[in-house]
Amino acid sequence: MTLQDHSEDIGQVIIHHVANSDVLFPLFIFGFDISITKHVIMLWIAGVVVITGFLVGSRQYRHELNPVPRGFSNFLEAVVEFIYKDIATPNLGAAHAARWTPFLLTFFTLIFTANILGMIPIFDLIPGSGTATGNFNVTAALAIVTFFAIIFAGSREHGFIGHWRNMAPPGMPWPVLFILIPIEILGMFVRPFALTMRLAANMTAGHIAMLAILAPIFLLANPWIGIGSVALNVGISFLEIIVALVQAYVFTLLSAVFIGAAIHPEH
Amino acid sequence: MDKLISLDTGLIFWTWTTFLIVLFILATKAWKPMVAALVRRQQSIAEALSAAEKAREETAAMSARYEEQLQAGRQEAQQVLSVARAAGEKLRSEIESAAQAQAESIVSKAREQIEAEKRKALAEVRATVVDLSLTIAGKVLERSVTSADNKKLAEESLGQIGEA
Repeated sequence: MTLQDHSEDIGQVIIHHVANSDVLFPLFIFGFDISITKHVIMLWIAGVVVITGFLVGSRQYRHELNPVPRGFSNFLEAVVEFIYKDIATPNLGAAHAARWTPFLLTFFTLIFTANILGMIPIFDLIPGSGTATGNFNVTAALAIVTFFAIIFAGSREHGFIGHWRNMAPPGMPWPVLFILIPIEILGMFVRPFALTMRLAANMTAGHIAMLAILAPIFLLANPWIGIGSVALNVGISFLEIIVALVQAYVFTLLSAVFIGAAIHPEH
Repeated sequence: MDKLISLDTGLIFWTWTTFLIVLFILATKAWKPMVAALVRRQQSIAEALSAAEKAREETAAMSARYEEQLQAGRQEAQQVLSVARAAGEKLRSEIESAAQAQAESIVSKAREQIEAEKRKALAEVRATVVDLSLTIAGKVLERSVTSADNKKLAEESLGQIGEA
């Protein structure tokens, strides 16, 4: 085979590794396709891990009035406190922080767990990519949740009509509104779209980079290249751990910022 | 490539399902109790801090009050001491002057007594001298001068001597 043929193969391999699997179990409800793919399973695993971890770690919080957390519980409390004090409170205000903290925690824990699960090679036993959050459908679904949460938060605080009226700040000369309102409407959709792209692209990019670094071994059919490739990929893996954490944080933070902007439009 | 960006409504549905299940289970079972515990702990720490601050202020006020009382006590003691000292001084001077007066009276009494004794002794001496001079004169004149007239004469002359 020529190098050209190889490179096409490699391209296919990379796509295969970062894209979702084919349908594993076809499933239809009322003619609606909800077939199980690898990313669905990965999401379930992430959900089960998060639910189990927090149910186990929060046991004493359900039974004691003033729990003194230790070990794993203490770690989970640090996560909860981080979301509550450093994301919810500054962006939503102290009055709304406690209400929205569970919502933001769901984003953070689920996205972070799915990101990290995608880095564990054991899931490669099922064909397809292991990173559910690298799939645009998953991140779009999460961003749509944020989209509706923004409208819900604004409507709850200012009334349904009041929320839409907040798009145009009072005291604005009316010609400005012709520019402002389209921009605001555009922004309403651009924000979740940006959330979608940022998370999915970041989670996919790491995998593509690692596969691309491994590719020369096969392209040039030289195992010695593997030494450099593996060393580089170990470094990228550490970087990916940080990216997994940072992207979960960014998605949660931006959701909180957008919801906070709907609650406090004057800022 | 199209597989990477194809729309997968089933996956969107499952994402929402997973999200909502995680949210509902953990919001009620884990996150609300944890946030509540955090808020409670924050409140109890704030309360403990303000209580400590209050206790500190109370202690400071109490110590100031004690200091004040101590100062007042010290002043009172000083006053009592000075009063006592003045009284003692007065008593001392009184006793001294009384003793002085007593001593003077004793001395003057003694002086009077001495004077009286002296006078008595002088009278005795005078009588003795009269007898002695009469005896001597009798011896000289070789006759006894015993009569009262002579004795009177001698006393008169002696009186003249005494007066001279």
